[in-house]
Amino acid sequence: MPHCKTVEFLYAIVPLKLWRGFLIRRHIEKCPGCLASLASREEAGKLLVRGVDGVAVGRSLWAGVEAAIAEDPGREKSKAGILQRPPVRRWGWAVATAFLGVLLISFVFLKDFRPGRVSAEAVQARFELDSVRVGGQPANAVIYQPQGSDMIIIWAEKNL
Amino acid sequence: MDEQQLIAGSLEGSREDFRMIVEKYSAPAMALAMNVLRNRDDAEDACQELFIQVYRNLQSYDPGRSFKNWVYTILYRRCLDHLKRRRRAADLVNRVGRETAPAIPSNPGCSESPRSLPSELLEKLKAKERTALCLWANEGYNSREISEVLRCSASTARVYLFQARKKIKKLLEQGHASLQNG
Repeated sequence: MPHCKTVEFLYAIVPLKLWRGFLIRRHIEKCPGCLASLASREEAGKLLVRGVDGVAVGRSLWAGVEAAIAEDPGREKSKAGILQRPPVRRWGWAVATAFLGVLLISFVFLKDFRPGRVSAEAVQARFELDSVRVGGQPANAVIYQPQGSDMIIIWAEKNL
Repeated sequence: MDEQQLIAGSLEGSREDFRMIVEKYSAPAMALAMNVLRNRDDAEDACQELFIQVYRNLQSYDPGRSFKNWVYTILYRRCLDHLKRRRRAADLVNRVGRETAPAIPSNPGCSESPRSLPSELLEKLKAKERTALCLWANEGYNSREISEVLRCSASTARVYLFQARKKIKKLLEQGHASLQNG
C-alpha cells in the first residue's frame, strides 16, 4: 500500500521515539498490511522461554532467599531508620528555627552598630549636666552630636 | 490467600507469607529473566536478588499499583545489572586473550556449546526489546504496562515492541522458517 510505504519512510527518517510511537499508534497498529510484517504473539511465544517448573524453581529460590534474609538485618535496620527519622527531623526543624532566631536578633542589634560610633544616649550620659547657668541665671541645655561625627555640641539657652 | 494479605503478612514479619509470594512469582520471574539474560544460572541469581530486594523494600511498595509490575520492574533492573557485569567480564577476557595469546586460533565450535535457534534469534534483540517482547507475548501486557516495567513512556515502549516484532519476523522469514512449525 502506498500509504504504508510513506509511513515506513517517515518512520525511518525521523529517529525520535515519540514520533515513531505516534506513527505506530496512529497507523501501524491498525493497518493489517503493516501488522503482517510483524511477528505475532504465537510466533514470538515459540522463541521465548515460557514453561518454567514453578514449584521446583520456587523451592530452590526460596532456600537461597530464606538464608539471605535470615542473616541479613537490612529490613530491621531500615525499619529502625523509619522509626528514628521523625524525631530527628523534628529536632532538626527546632535547631534550624532557633538558629534563624539568633541570626535575626543579632541582625536587629548589630544593624546600627559601627566601630567607634557613639550613640546619642551615650553622649548624653557622658555629658550629663546637673545645672547650666548663663549670666548667673539657670539655663536649658541640649547635648547634640551630628551623625557620624566625633564633635559634640552643647547648646545652652537662657530661661526666659 | 489474597496477594495484599500476603504482602501485609510479610510486612508484619511472616516468613510463610513471603515464601508464598516467592513461590507465586518465581516461575514468571524466572521466565522473564531467562528470556532477557538467556542463561539459567544468571537468571536464578537475578531472581534470588530480586526476592531479597523485594523483602527489604516491601514497605516502599505502593498498594495502589500492580505488585506484579513492581516485581518485574525490580527484576528488569537486576537483569540489566547482570548484563552490564557480563559485558565487562567479556571485555576483560577479550583484552587478556588478545594480550597473552594472540597466535592461538579461536575455535568457537569447541569452546562454546552450540546455541539453539531461538537463542540466536533473541540475541539479535536488545535487552529492552527482549523484555518488551516477553511481557507482551508471555504476559499479555500492552504498551502502557510495558512502559511501567521499563520505566519509560508508553510511546517508547511501543517502539521497543515494534522493533522486536519486526526483527523477529524478518529473521524468521530469512532463514529460520522451520521454527514457525514448532
